[in-house]
Amino acid sequence: MKIKVLSSAIATALVLSSATNVNAQEGSSLDIGRFAIAGYGDVTYIEQSKMKDEAGNDIQNNVSARFVPIFLFQLSEKIHIEAELEFSTNAEGETETELEYANMHYFFNDNTIITAGKFLLPFGQFGANLHPSWINKAASNPGLYGGHGGNGSLGGITSILGDTGINIANTWDLGAAGKLFTDFYTVSGPRQEEGDHGGGVEMDAKAGDNNDTMAYGGRIAYAFLPAWEVGVSYYTGAYSNDGDLNYNAYNVDFNWIGSFASVRGEIFGSTAETEGEDEGVEGEHGAEWVRDFDKEGWYVQGTWQARQLGRDWLNPIELVVRYSDISSDFDGSIAHEFEEDGGKTGSRIYYGINYWLEPSAVLKFGAESTSIDNAQASHDVVPDDRMFLQLAFGF
Amino acid sequence: MKLTQILLSVIVLSFSVYSVQAQHVSDPSLIATGAKVYSENCARCHNARPAEEYSKKEWSVVMPHMRAKAHMTGKETLAVEAFLASTLTADVRNNFDSAGSKAPQRSGEELMSAFGCQGCHSIKGQGGTLGPKLDTVVTDKGQDFVLRKLQDPKFNNAASAMPKYPMTEADMQVIVRYLSQ
Repeated sequence: MKIKVLSSAIATALVLSSATNVNAQEGSSLDIGRFAIAGYGDVTYIEQSKMKDEAGNDIQNNVSARFVPIFLFQLSEKIHIEAELEFSTNAEGETETELEYANMHYFFNDNTIITAGKFLLPFGQFGANLHPSWINKAASNPGLYGGHGGNGSLGGITSILGDTGINIANTWDLGAAGKLFTDFYTVSGPRQEEGDHGGGVEMDAKAGDNNDTMAYGGRIAYAFLPAWEVGVSYYTGAYSNDGDLNYNAYNVDFNWIGSFASVRGEIFGSTAETEGEDEGVEGEHGAEWVRDFDKEGWYVQGTWQARQLGRDWLNPIELVVRYSDISSDFDGSIAHEFEEDGGKTGSRIYYGINYWLEPSAVLKFGAESTSIDNAQASHDVVPDDRMFLQLAFGF
Repeated sequence: MKLTQILLSVIVLSFSVYSVQAQHVSDPSLIATGAKVYSENCARCHNARPAEEYSKKEWSVVMPHMRAKAHMTGKETLAVEAFLASTLTADVRNNFDSAGSKAPQRSGEELMSAFGCQGCHSIKGQGGTLGPKLDTVVTDKGQDFVLRKLQDPKFNNAASAMPKYPMTEADMQVIVRYLSQ
């Protein structure tokens, strides 16, 4: 009986939903398209003459380029398909291609979107929305996003970016009180890297899964537009091959937008359960242990547009400053992949001047300096001061 | 059974109460609404992009992508599409027939409402914050500046998101006079 009533309830909801769907272009005079290409790209010169790799060799200054097209296809008013590819050149001169996302949106009703496929996880703001180079106000990524592009010698927190699964997004209009945005998803989840002690957490999405468990997560945000948005995200998933070890992460993000200035930031923390064993006496196993490795970080970024000064020649200029900090409980007391992978923790400050050529094309000049806190944990300290010149464009 | 009934209520409320009826793009308030939504949402992540960066057909495909990115509702997305389309051609300004030479000249207030100016600019405390306030813009910058800005929004700032509206010279003069009051 319950099943019958529940089935009726769902059917009723679907019918009601369908009946009240917004047919966005029904009978309109808008031209309806089927296909469009958007995306972004950049060319970046990095001056890093003082930096050395782990073997003590000089790291050369370099120029890199990326082209990241987004293919958009409108199958119908309810179904939209999108895919983003990233083309770049590696140090060997080979072209690298990466599928950033490929998914389908189903616009279930006016406020509900179901997304299936590989998508950028709604975890914080930077990974989901702010990382494209023409949107990212700085020429580099926040220090805690070490796993997302080049990041000098500062080790970032294992980033939660794209994965394969399903997401349900809702927008709740609270009238004059603002809006609530919710996302809840389940995806394949993290994996275990190869390593002597089981390895660290690997977040790169791959076909299939290494265990029987899915990862779950979501973000709830309150927006009082156009100025404020504050969000809280959580993610949890088993990463070990046997499904016994978890990777959990949380994120608190905020975004304030004014007419001439913006301030945004994130607090990002992660906990990875890790198992291993101490060295035993000869011929015997040591004591087994399970330990949580915590890594936390935050960044805050401010921008200010000089058009506020009312001089035409200053109108395209924007100043950027960003401070990032990462800390962890890695203390180097055990030889483990986590500590090796963890890299350095510390703080980093970035100063930049942007010259906007178009609303979606910018020339960035930036400089950043990093202070390392944990040289004893895994690596020697090398100067980590870099300068950037980047042309970024959205199209 | 009670649990099922509660579940039924939650499901129905979730998927229907917040739904809205379709609104035709000829609704005169839609463009102003679209301008407001455009102003409030685009700059959350990036510079607002002027309509001329895509064609109307391209916008109709790009906007569902942005709807998902920005958590916009379907109704809001439709409004933004209507606003963007209105800055590319005059064909969605249906109820404001300015194309006919015999049509009566609209007032400055009507024109600014029709073009959705207050989506991004505030006047007398009402309107958006993406662009500067317009209360004293003529006094501060002069009539020639405002007229030229309407003709070529990027003349003094290549990064300006202000669209190049398909308005007539007479419309521009009326708006400048209205802003001079």
